[in-house]
Amino acid sequence: MSLIIRRQIPIVIVFVTAVLVMTDYFLKIPGTGPVVRDLQNWGVILTAFTLGYGAVNLFYLHTRHISRRTPGQWPFSIWLLLMIVVFTVVGVTYGATSKQYSWMYNSSYFALSATVYSSLGFYMTSGVYRTLRPKSVESTLLVITGVIALMRNAPALAVSAPILISMDSWISSIPTTSAQRGIMIGAALGAIALGIRTMIGKETGFLGRLTEAEKGA
Amino acid sequence: MLVEGRMFALGMLIALWVLIIGSMEMSKRKLPTFRKLSGLEALPEMVGRAVEMRRPVHFTTGLGELTGTVAPQLVAGLAVLGYVSELSAKYGARLIYSVYQSQVMPLAEQIMREAYIKEGKIEQFDPEYQIRYLSGEQFAYASAVQGLAERERPAANIMIGPFYAESMLFAETFYRIGSIQLAGTARGYQIPFFAVVCDYLLIAEEIYAAGAYLSKDPVQIGSIRGQDVGKMIALVLMFVGVLALALGSSDLINLLKR
Amino acid sequence: MIMKEQVKEKTILEKLEDVPREVLYGLLLLAFIIPMLNPIGFPVPTSDAVKKWYSTIDALPKGSVIMVDFGYSGGGEPELGPMAVAVYHHIFRKGGLKVIAMSTSIDGPLLWDKAMAEVKPEQYGAKYGVDYLHIGYIAGGETAMAAVGKDLRATTSTDYKGSSLDQYTVMKGIKDAASFNLLIVYTTGGDQSEGWVRQWYTPYRIPYLCAVLAMMVPTMLPYQKAGQIVSLVSGAQSGEMEFLVKVPARGIKSADVITVTHLLVIAFVVLGNIAYFGKKAKGGG
Repeated sequence: MSLIIRRQIPIVIVFVTAVLVMTDYFLKIPGTGPVVRDLQNWGVILTAFTLGYGAVNLFYLHTRHISRRTPGQWPFSIWLLLMIVVFTVVGVTYGATSKQYSWMYNSSYFALSATVYSSLGFYMTSGVYRTLRPKSVESTLLVITGVIALMRNAPALAVSAPILISMDSWISSIPTTSAQRGIMIGAALGAIALGIRTMIGKETGFLGRLTEAEKGA
Repeated sequence: MLVEGRMFALGMLIALWVLIIGSMEMSKRKLPTFRKLSGLEALPEMVGRAVEMRRPVHFTTGLGELTGTVAPQLVAGLAVLGYVSELSAKYGARLIYSVYQSQVMPLAEQIMREAYIKEGKIEQFDPEYQIRYLSGEQFAYASAVQGLAERERPAANIMIGPFYAESMLFAETFYRIGSIQLAGTARGYQIPFFAVVCDYLLIAEEIYAAGAYLSKDPVQIGSIRGQDVGKMIALVLMFVGVLALALGSSDLINLLKR
Repeated sequence: MIMKEQVKEKTILEKLEDVPREVLYGLLLLAFIIPMLNPIGFPVPTSDAVKKWYSTIDALPKGSVIMVDFGYSGGGEPELGPMAVAVYHHIFRKGGLKVIAMSTSIDGPLLWDKAMAEVKPEQYGAKYGVDYLHIGYIAGGETAMAAVGKDLRATTSTDYKGSSLDQYTVMKGIKDAASFNLLIVYTTGGDQSEGWVRQWYTPYRIPYLCAVLAMMVPTMLPYQKAGQIVSLVSGAQSGEMEFLVKVPARGIKSADVITVTHLLVIAFVVLGNIAYFGKKAKGGG
């Protein structure tokens, strides 16, 4: 019974759902449209629920850290849970679009997020300084295209040397686009293959933890 | 009956179905061979280095979600995690897996636990220390991984999965602390950053092949082979299409649009 | 006699090759701060992509409906925020267009509020619920895009504040993707920018304008070259859009910063290579 519930039924659900959605995309069969629309809306609702599930999970994990006094972690766990509570209370009391909530968001999360994201510029600089060396044919091409792209994307340089725009445009349109298309085709085929393996029950990662018997079925 | 403009796409999808399932079945009889993937061949060396330096091995599958469009990349990363767990158990390395999505934790625990059982070293497996759920928020996760890197100072860093803007943050931080790095992602935006900084790189669909390459599972290998045949078909279509267009015929383009 | 350990002095070339990253970061920080505080006024070119974006909106007839996805997160706001603001200025100034916004990013509604506070739609006579609206964050990524495209009302019945959509005149006649004349997406996630191609352009052929982070542009180019995206711009080009729209703001200011920092990084590349080749010429490692 466990095998049927934990493995077979989910696989059947995945298979039927996938076939329905694909059928609706490719074929005009009356009746599938509303069914697929409902399935998609269920998907939206389920994803929204996973946000709540994530919050519950956070509470569970961090209360464990606090109760076990995990060294170097538990004070931050207290702070995290406190912030979750504060944001939740403010959001529920005043609304998620209220001035109070916006102020808290802009002052804390947005500022931190933008800061960490901006630090990327510094890491890229040290990476570029250390690694952009023409040591081989490939790295020489990398240096040349990198420098052209840097110069083109400096607005003042692009105005004073319009040839940079043409060169960058050629690099973007021809070799870059071609390479990206190849990568995209490969990635898409990989996704299709995973979808096929999932639908026929050969890929069971999404089922979570399974016993040996359940995996082998 | 058919939606206009999707007939060719449907035909291709059916053809891929047949190819991939057929390849999976054929692989059960005779296992196809892979070309060498130097990044994966270097994994034992990386884990061995960590053991010698008495520093841990760090593994991340990036911002992978089991339910998103990047799920294939996460699955590929988890396959490599299984292999790295086996190596870590075998050589006695401390493996740390930093988790982005909490739903992945039970799966990761199972994969790692089985690896340690397989090597007969289950007593070494400590999920509390080795599997760390850091955050479900991109830059909070990125900061946490950077902090982990500075504190634990892993000798080896393995990054396989979907990475976003934090890719360069990770690569540079681990470079700075002296880690040897293997990275792989199918997200084209981040491949250049890994290419510039990391020691070994898996590009795009090489990460999908990684699981099959390491596990030698006929089903996975057959699936990769089916994908390769699909790529051949795409190449042939491209070549024939370019030739036809050069000769003034747009019949193939019109066929693809049907 | 005490033997002193001989410490080999680093040559200039070795020092240059091994410049501490703190020096690099310090110089870069100065390159950010100085032009930001004292704008230099470097010229800003207008690329074909930005001109195309501008003319696409300009060509919309009165009564057209635009779907805007505020799909970027807080980290991407400094880059994409100015672009979104400039485009909203353009749309409201043109007048006669309806703009329905949604968010595939959880930060989207708050960032939309931030953008609207900068735009001040009332200066153009635009009213919330009459000329523009935000239907809120729709979870699910591509599933959300597909669901909204298939039947917007079934996916959400309220705006981002929780009020019923039926009370807003801007929502009159809006059912699904076919109700829209243009799709504009601002996003920091490649999954979103590509997802809209699959879920709105491919099935419904809605013209699609896409603004992404600068590093995402090469990967999105195949879609633009294939005609699936009308115009693809990066947030770093927001200065160009502000120039076209004639509302100078954060974008144009950051154009000076972009020029100076790019020049500095080029200088770093040159210096690093001088050190490398100089060392090599002298027989170093």
